[in-house]
Amino acid sequence: MELMRLVVTGPVGSGKSTFIQSVSEIDVVNTDERASDETKEQKETTTVAMDFGKLRFSPEFAMHLYGTPGQQRFDFMWDLLIRKAHAYILLVAANQPKQFRYARRILNFMNQRVTLPMLIGITHTDCDEAWETQDIAIALGFSAQKHPPLKIVNPLDHTSVAETLLTLAQQLYEPANHQT
Amino acid sequence: MSINVEKLNQILQEFASTTNEVQGAALVTPDGLPLATTLPARMDEERVSAMSASILSLGERIGKELARGQVERIFVEGEDGYGILTSCTEDALFLVLASHQAKQGVLMLEIKRIVEELRSVLA
Repeated sequence: MELMRLVVTGPVGSGKSTFIQSVSEIDVVNTDERASDETKEQKETTTVAMDFGKLRFSPEFAMHLYGTPGQQRFDFMWDLLIRKAHAYILLVAANQPKQFRYARRILNFMNQRVTLPMLIGITHTDCDEAWETQDIAIALGFSAQKHPPLKIVNPLDHTSVAETLLTLAQQLYEPANHQT
Repeated sequence: MSINVEKLNQILQEFASTTNEVQGAALVTPDGLPLATTLPARMDEERVSAMSASILSLGERIGKELARGQVERIFVEGEDGYGILTSCTEDALFLVLASHQAKQGVLMLEIKRIVEELRSVLA
C-alpha cells in the first residue's frame, strides 16, 4: 500500500487543525491547549505539538496528515515533521494580510530543509476583506506567472479538503507539472 | 490579580541552587510561553518553554489514548541527565532539568514540594 505523509502548515488561525479534522477517518490526535498569547484574540485554543489524522483514498493509497503548530516558537516541530514528509500544504488566510509575511517565513523555513511537492491553500476567502489569490501569491514573494499551485480551500468542508489533497497527490505522481 | 513573577523566580532560583544536581527549572504556560525560568546559560527560555508544552501535551494525549489515566509526570532520561515535566496548575506546567547524579526519589519529593509552593503563589 502506498502511504503519503503530508504536513499541513501555516500561520496561526489559517485552519490547519480544522483542515485535518474535516477529512480524518480516525479521531484526530490533537494537542490543543488554551492560548495565552496574541492567539487568544482569534481563538481560544492552539496546537502546541501536532495534529495527526488519517485518510484512505483507496485500498492502495492512504494519507497520514500532520498539522504543525502555527507559532514560530514551535519551529522545532516544523523541522521534525517536515523532514519525514512527502509533500506539504501551506495554508494562508486570505483575510489576514498581516500574516502573509509570516507565511513566507514558514515557506522559507521549509524550503531550506526540503524540496517537496507543495501547494498553497487559501482559506477564509468568504470573509470580509479577503485578498485575491493572485495578490496573495505576489505577497508571498512569487510572481503572478510563476508560483506553486494555489487552491482555494474551505477547511470546514470535507469535499473541499479532499479535493485539495488529491490535487497535491497528483502533483506527487506527476512531478513534471510541479513548479516551484 | 497579577501574578507575582518575582516570587516565582525567587522560588525557582532557590530550588535550583539548593537542590543537589538540579541544573535548571522553568514554569511555563500550557501553550509554551515562559512564566519564570532559571536555566543553564546556553538554553533559550522561549525554546525550552515551547518544547515543554509540546511534550506535556503530547504525553497527556498519549496517556489518554493508551488508557494510562491522568499523567503524573513525563520523564525524559538521557545520557547526560533527566528532564521531568509535571502539570502545576491549569495555567502552568513545571520543568526540571537534573544531572544523572540526582537521586530520583529525592528529586520527585522535591518537585512535589516545589510544585505546591508554586501553586500557592499562582492561586
